[in-house]
Amino acid sequence: MTETGTTAPFTSRERVGFSAHRVSVIAVNTLTEAVRQKVFILFLLIGLVFIASAVFFAQFTFGEQMKFIKDTSLGVISVISTLIAIVGTAQLLPSEVENRTIYTILAKPVRRFEFLLGKFCGSLLLLLLSMAAMCILFAAVLWIKEQGMIRELSQTYVGESPEAHVEARKQIEQVQTEVLDVELVKALLADLAKATLIASVTLLVSTFSTSLVFNVVVPFMVFVAGMLRGTAADMWGAHRLFMAVLAVVPDFGLFSIADEINLGRVVPWGHIGRIITYGVARTLVIVVAAHLVFSRREI
Amino acid sequence: MDAIRTEQLTKKYDLGWRKGKLLALEKLNLRVREGEVYGLLGPNGSGKSTTLKLVLDLVVPTAGDAWIFDVPCSKVVSRLHVGFLPENPYFYRYLTGAETLEFYGKLCGVRGAALKKRIDELLDLVGLSRARDRRLAGYSKGMLQRIGLAQALIHDPKLLLLDEPTAGVDPIGSKDIRDLILRLKGMGKTVLLSSHLLAQVQDVCDRIGVLNRGQMILEGDVQTLISDQRRLSITVQDLPETARARVEDAVRAAGASIVSVGHPQTTLEALFLEALRKDQQGEGEHD
Amino acid sequence: MKLVVAILLFGIGFVLLPLENSLRAERLQMKYGGARVTFQLREAVGQNLAIALLAGMRGIVADFLWIQSHDFWEKREWLRQYRNIEIVVTLQPQSIMFWDLGQWHMAWNIGYGAFSDPKNRTKAEGVKREREWHEKAREFLVRGIGNIPNRYELYFTMGWLYFEKLSKDCDSPPCHDAFCKSAEYFGKAASFPDAPQFVPRIYARALEKCGDIHAAYEEWKHLWYLDHSTTQQAWSIIEREIRRLEDDLQIPNQQRVFPKPTP
Repeated sequence: MTETGTTAPFTSRERVGFSAHRVSVIAVNTLTEAVRQKVFILFLLIGLVFIASAVFFAQFTFGEQMKFIKDTSLGVISVISTLIAIVGTAQLLPSEVENRTIYTILAKPVRRFEFLLGKFCGSLLLLLLSMAAMCILFAAVLWIKEQGMIRELSQTYVGESPEAHVEARKQIEQVQTEVLDVELVKALLADLAKATLIASVTLLVSTFSTSLVFNVVVPFMVFVAGMLRGTAADMWGAHRLFMAVLAVVPDFGLFSIADEINLGRVVPWGHIGRIITYGVARTLVIVVAAHLVFSRREI
Repeated sequence: MDAIRTEQLTKKYDLGWRKGKLLALEKLNLRVREGEVYGLLGPNGSGKSTTLKLVLDLVVPTAGDAWIFDVPCSKVVSRLHVGFLPENPYFYRYLTGAETLEFYGKLCGVRGAALKKRIDELLDLVGLSRARDRRLAGYSKGMLQRIGLAQALIHDPKLLLLDEPTAGVDPIGSKDIRDLILRLKGMGKTVLLSSHLLAQVQDVCDRIGVLNRGQMILEGDVQTLISDQRRLSITVQDLPETARARVEDAVRAAGASIVSVGHPQTTLEALFLEALRKDQQGEGEHD
Repeated sequence: MKLVVAILLFGIGFVLLPLENSLRAERLQMKYGGARVTFQLREAVGQNLAIALLAGMRGIVADFLWIQSHDFWEKREWLRQYRNIEIVVTLQPQSIMFWDLGQWHMAWNIGYGAFSDPKNRTKAEGVKREREWHEKAREFLVRGIGNIPNRYELYFTMGWLYFEKLSKDCDSPPCHDAFCKSAEYFGKAASFPDAPQFVPRIYARALEKCGDIHAAYEEWKHLWYLDHSTTQQAWSIIEREIRRLEDDLQIPNQQRVFPKPTP
């Protein structure tokens, strides 16, 4: 009992530890907010249109058509996911500060790290959802092409010898293998790791900048620099100091394996594992750096 | 126990290279007692919002300390029993009223059926039950202020920090908010409200503190501060004009002087509210 | 705090440098990517496509140029088509399809186009131009095989180029040497375990065309003696060819795979 006769609000047992639940609440809220804003739907629609348009190359061979569909679809997924990663993450913190919603959240028993992580996870959820939608359409386009090809092959070999039928079955199996290529999953995983990494860079930039334009342009420039790192290493690898400075920029070129997979090559799981490890390690450190900046930021 | 206590709390903002620092708050010693309504007043830029931000750990003090119910403000647990309504809040435009409260409730650890019940109670309390499923983008200023109050109350906090709670709100909404604050006080809650609308503060606050250029220049009980002990006001009714001269003579005979004689005035706000009430009653009769 | 953040970011960069370098080395070893984006390549593809290249969109740029080359083909703009084909294989030298179809366009389409070009003053000029394109296709495929030496497809394609086209490019066709070269390439293709069933059959035919009928007979026999229960083959064709060659070579009855019934 206190002097005024009331009971003390805080008991000795009350603690506020890190809560994954609070992180998930903020993440889901971020996703909801993003999905209800039309701009991301627009990005997605553009992506879906490009993927669907890959169907219109009937004058080419099946192999050519498959390559066009896979290259276009994976390329579009890569571009749109990068755009969503940058634009979606860039506006997370500035809009919270501008609308003062950040005050109402941080005034609650919410750790700054939970808030930051929640916003970042929300952005990743948006990315996952967008990629899933594009992948579904991609799979549908592939399936349509596959069914058309199988029908064509079946009709071609009607009335032919048993050996010709065996040949037809083999060709159909080849078509199915080419369409339902498990290797495509590797390309998508690499793209997801890349997009997550660029989203983390954007998050870091947004922890110290309030300008939305700055938060979009700088990560984009980092992305371009990262794509050129391989070329820089080829051309100026001997200049150790320059390469040491450049090491701060992630090498985004390492995530580009879609082209190889679309050429029918098998990318070893070990290689994929190392790419993802690279992406995750960079992402984790950048998120920690973002937390360090944000924890000291005056709101 | 003091709900809020600050000792030598100081904040200097860094204005950048070669621009020096801005002294926003200087050695503030503030004590807000548990269960009272404390008004933090001052002109724009006096340090009111900075004080609230320091108490909520939104900014780091340059010097000094602050506690909420004896827990340092730098600890997250200090905010377990605090509800905050910022100035001109916008919230998440794409969430409905109910979804907004659900979001904040979950952040405070309120879940399940208890959360649902609390949301219904609060929407009823702030008069937004009918707008619960409308997105906040479609809310008026007053409605946003009310949903802001509701989110501040979602976890039944013991301390409320309200930054300009009636700014931009119409007189009816303003009165509702003031009535709500008094109700909360009756429930034993502590309220620290910052405002520069003095007339509204006068009606609800027990104590006030006046900040100017980062320093507390005046503090004390409202009624004590605003009453002029040297003067006495007696209101009479139905006094004939002939007896008025005798009353004035009696005052002078006692050695006092008459400062003014006239008819008491109501406030514009009271007049406005009365007119609306009569109009609504009139409509009711016609129905 | 800024210092701590800088240390963190540079630190992770240093720590991950060995992993980065090993990933780059793996990519180089596995021949991922194509030619570096040099100034010449940038000039060849144009500015917009060069930007797409730098963004890692090699496949899409190659596809775009390939579709454009198809357009040139329809308009009979052979040199532009050829130029695009060369750029495409520079961008994606690991694409079997581009090498395969590229040589097909050169040898079959552009070659015929050059042969039947109304601007040819004489028939001999048309033949000469066609043969030049056949040779271009052959050189093109040699480079292709150099880039993709561990798949059967381009060896088979080269064999087919020799078999169908280069076998006619001599003073008195059919060109014996070309068939022997085709047999060499078909044989190489047939040595790959995933080569289709018709490849060894064509190898046997090419051996026969080369003049090595005994080798052809041995090849057909080799095919016949594969496990019929696990191998898919055109057994009736193989039987027919063995019987024919056994008659042509007058193999003694008791040594035949398919002895004739004694009266």
